[in-house]
Amino acid sequence: MSILQSIKNAVRSRSIHVSYIDVGSCNGCDIEVLACLAPRYDIEQYGIYVHNNPREADVLLVIGSVTPQWEDKLRNIWEKIPAPKAAIAIGNCPISGCVYARKGSLTTPPVKNYIPIAAEVPGCPPRPTEILSAILSVAPLIFKDYEEKQS
Amino acid sequence: MKKTVDVSIPLGPMHPCWKEPVRLKCETAGERVLHTEVELGYMKKGIERIMRGRPWQEVMFLAERVCGICSVVHNMVFIEAMELISDIAVPPRAAYLRVVANELDRVASHILANFSYCYTIEHETLAMYLLNTRERVLDNLERLTGSRINTAYMIPGGVRFDLLPEDAATMLADLAKVEEELKRYVQIFESGPLIGLRSRGIGYMSREDAIRAHTVGPTARASGVEDCDLRLRHPTYRALGFEQVTRTEGDNFARVMLRFQEVFQSIDLIRKCVDTLPAGHIRGGGLCRAGEVSYSGEAPRGELTYTIKTDDFGRVLDIAIRTPSIMNIEACAHYMVVNATSIADVTSTFISSDPCIACNER
Repeated sequence: MSILQSIKNAVRSRSIHVSYIDVGSCNGCDIEVLACLAPRYDIEQYGIYVHNNPREADVLLVIGSVTPQWEDKLRNIWEKIPAPKAAIAIGNCPISGCVYARKGSLTTPPVKNYIPIAAEVPGCPPRPTEILSAILSVAPLIFKDYEEKQS
Repeated sequence: MKKTVDVSIPLGPMHPCWKEPVRLKCETAGERVLHTEVELGYMKKGIERIMRGRPWQEVMFLAERVCGICSVVHNMVFIEAMELISDIAVPPRAAYLRVVANELDRVASHILANFSYCYTIEHETLAMYLLNTRERVLDNLERLTGSRINTAYMIPGGVRFDLLPEDAATMLADLAKVEEELKRYVQIFESGPLIGLRSRGIGYMSREDAIRAHTVGPTARASGVEDCDLRLRHPTYRALGFEQVTRTEGDNFARVMLRFQEVFQSIDLIRKCVDTLPAGHIRGGGLCRAGEVSYSGEAPRGELTYTIKTDDFGRVLDIAIRTPSIMNIEACAHYMVVNATSIADVTSTFISSDPCIACNER
């Protein structure tokens, strides 16, 4: 491993920029992601920063089963995120559609039909600690030795 | 007259200040906002279409997933509408426990709304204080109902879990702490000079405009509309001696302060409920029958109406939900942000009306 790569690994493991996107949920998961900001969970002590700007994000948290309006916009937003990147599905909705995957629904889950999903956090909604540990366990795995894996 | 528009600025659907996707299109002349339009439809899931033809046991769980922030009140209004159709009586202990769960949810929702406002005007310290206080309230909701967000606490004829004496003692102690902390934060909010510059006199809506725009909930009450709280008509709240809070300023500051005042009032209501909790069962019997009813309750954001038609087996044949935020968002776009002096005030004014997009579009 080159020195440059090891520096990048060290820096990336403590600097994860997060953007979250709601593609049609009950917003229960949104407020659990927001609750991670609270001093009790303190997402920033692990070097995770919530910006909600896809162009400077490393990790995209996808919430909700996909509504018709988001079908193309979701792919656009995924393309705007610079590599290396990872998407994490928060809650049951992006995994299976939860209660919305029924007859008469307008949504078209799962999210992995649209963008590649690195990890899934089930729950309706999951606890903030679970969201936090998912980000912490997935992001370093994907970002580690990224340049060397590419070449 | 010809309208001169310099720039049309779209805000959203992905915006750092907004929890949920919605787009505001602002037409501006210089920094002054001339006209604003709301573009909805990013969260339309068709939940009423899913509900039709399903038994109430399923619709109950769907109803609380209309909105995650105020899920308890969606559950409460749906269940009370079903009870009204089927003539099911609620034991007094259960009625009081419903008020406890509902008010805990309201406290959490109002604190979250004020957190969003403080975050939007970039007062991050106060925002984080408020978010931490909210966790304490959610702990108590979890101890009572078993879940933080989607609780499914109420069922026709009662509630699922009883409030244990030791949990009640913890709840009262926690609420005393919350009240003490909030008093400090309200004082910070009231006396902060920069908060005042961003809040006082910004996003003004007069009482006449509020009535014309059919605003409901804290947005209407902050503009001085009297008798617009449906808790005044709820039998349990009436027994507890509930009184509406009203402010007359009608600006962002009034809306945030009104929510703080309602939090203190809700804490008092919970305390009164726990102190005078009647003994007895928490679950009576009953059978859901055919009928049709339109029933309203007071959600944290205002009036919430369920119009339900059921058949003999308790299946929901037809349902229509009217949520409070839709009126408040329209009023915000057409009355509050018009003639705002800066585009930066548009986001804070929009957040001050506490928009809930998931509720709106369902």
